[in-house]
Amino acid sequence: LETGPCGLSKEIGISKEEALEALQVVRQECHGDAARTAGGSGATRKCTALELLEEEQAQGFIITFCSALDNILGGGVQLTKITEICGAPGVGKTQLCMQLAVDVQIPECFGGVAGEAVFIDTEGSFMVDRVVDIATACVQHCQLIAEAHREEDHLKALETFTLESILSHIYYFRCRDYIELLAQVYLLPDFLSEHSKVRLVVVDGIAFPFRHDFEDLSLRTRLLNGLAQQLIIIANDHKSAVVLTNQMTTRIGQSQSTLVPALGESWGHAATVRLIFHWDNSQRLATLYKSPSQKESTIPYHITSHGFRDVQPPAVTQNAEDTEMNPRKRPRREEEK
Amino acid sequence: MDWDQFDLNPKVIAALKKADIKSIKEILNLSGADLQRLMKLSSADIQCLLKTVSYALRRNSMLTALQLYQDKDHLTSQHQKLSLGCSVLDNLLKGGIPLVGITELAGESSAGKTQISLQLCLCVQYPYKYGGLESGAVYICTEDVFPSKRLQQLIDQQHKLRADVPAEIIQKIKFGNSIFVEHAADLDTFHNCITKRISLLLTRGMVRLVVIDSIAALFRCEFGVSDSVMKARYLQTFGAQLHSLSTRFRTPIMCINQKLLSAVVGKNLSCFLYSVVGNRVSPALGITWANQLLMRLMVSRISQPEPSPGAASHHTGSVRTLRVVFAPHLPPSFCYYTVTLEGVKGIK
Repeated sequence: LETGPCGLSKEIGISKEEALEALQVVRQECHGDAARTAGGSGATRKCTALELLEEEQAQGFIITFCSALDNILGGGVQLTKITEICGAPGVGKTQLCMQLAVDVQIPECFGGVAGEAVFIDTEGSFMVDRVVDIATACVQHCQLIAEAHREEDHLKALETFTLESILSHIYYFRCRDYIELLAQVYLLPDFLSEHSKVRLVVVDGIAFPFRHDFEDLSLRTRLLNGLAQQLIIIANDHKSAVVLTNQMTTRIGQSQSTLVPALGESWGHAATVRLIFHWDNSQRLATLYKSPSQKESTIPYHITSHGFRDVQPPAVTQNAEDTEMNPRKRPRREEEK
Repeated sequence: MDWDQFDLNPKVIAALKKADIKSIKEILNLSGADLQRLMKLSSADIQCLLKTVSYALRRNSMLTALQLYQDKDHLTSQHQKLSLGCSVLDNLLKGGIPLVGITELAGESSAGKTQISLQLCLCVQYPYKYGGLESGAVYICTEDVFPSKRLQQLIDQQHKLRADVPAEIIQKIKFGNSIFVEHAADLDTFHNCITKRISLLLTRGMVRLVVIDSIAALFRCEFGVSDSVMKARYLQTFGAQLHSLSTRFRTPIMCINQKLLSAVVGKNLSCFLYSVVGNRVSPALGITWANQLLMRLMVSRISQPEPSPGAASHHTGSVRTLRVVFAPHLPPSFCYYTVTLEGVKGIK
């Protein structure tokens, strides 16, 4: 399997076409075996809505460390969904992406999904020194919790949850134009099969490579739609959250102009969840603009040297630590009637 | 494109040649269904084709964040930055100007933008050890005449500004020889400048810094309010070209922008991105340009120098502020500086 068709044809002395066909048969056999043992995640299957609901509720969330944002999202950035973050330059989109690339790795005993992250950077704004700050703060936070609770599994998890380990599990791809981005997304499914612990794919930003170079806007729309389709499949098949950042652009109306997310109306359908980050004087705000299950709301957030945070840190009591770090252990509260 | 060199089924190669497909870009621009129709192949064959060409384009493109962090090679490392020639200013920027991306320096007139840019043109010529890039700079003037007299003054005083560098190293550098001045007063000349002349200088390794003084001047006269769509398109194209050059040659691009300050601004940093009154937004060189930037810095004069005991007596010139408006790796922060005979110096 590893020799490749050219090598194989030379070695055995068969034509290249025969070699390719032989390899295809062998590969199908292997995949068939794997599919039978794994239960065939790619195959179509019938299930009831109840099964889907249960599956969805069991899906993990990646927390953002800003509890207000996690709350309006229903727990955090959801796996198997595409979340889009729109906003003007400097408002914090890349900061949240870097925070999520760290938070996805939080061990399960601390309320995380213990995953790895793929970070596709089209703008060159991924500054590793900043990720180091964020990761260090996250490790410290977990250490504080471990000290407060003194449980075996917490201490054991901390042995492998270190700065080096976090950095080594962020897989970074730099795409310099839309062709490289398209190619990278074609290769993602195989990469994710090889790195099955990945639970987050970030594309920062999706708009940048598509906003110049396109005389033919219909080509752009078609390519973006194709990209969205592939990302939806990836999110589902690999149980990963896909997070995209988008720019804002000015829509010039009859009497006034407004800021809207870039890439046009049809792109608006690509993401399941859409967040818009914006300013109100010097306060940063996040608005949940589109979500299938949560209502539209706006919350303030803060960006500190440690990363993405709430505006007022929650009261530092044991209970607060619990609810912040262990969403699964959060007791069910009565919703407003 | 020689399709034979790819690891593809010969019938796919034949179909590619028959359909007259000449590049990977053409393949990726087409959807799976279009490719099937065009090449009359099965969907499995097309998937295989897409993966093979994607792999050819992107093999070995992955790095882990740990590798990025541990990379200390000055040719590739993210830690390498272009120093401003002053430790106080460098500390504000955590090392200096990042090498890949467009950095904007905005502010009112006479705040010191040109001074900082001239200083950078000299800093870039120092060895890597002293925060430079061992190469020259290209300075594009779009409205004023290049301040050559001031440049000469700065060159003569380098030994005073850069006390951290041994005198014999400073003497060896022929500063004037490595600064290339271009004039481009309109968009066409500017476009020509970027695509032909600057590319050439960069390819030959003669420059590792591009300064554009100023980007706003290019757009001021030629576009009225109703042409904002056209203006946006030019800005995006130029931004993309500059960004591409910066990435290919690991060369910082410094764009000077003149912001027209209105009384509304004050402490309102968001006004530099777009001004919002309720839901209404006034398009300016604003958001379209801001979307292309890696980092935005702002300089301003403060009306009265801060009376700090002791230190104030040395600074008879007016004190100015250098502020980080946004950057992916820096918090919004600022520091004070003055412009002296030998250049721009931060105040602790």
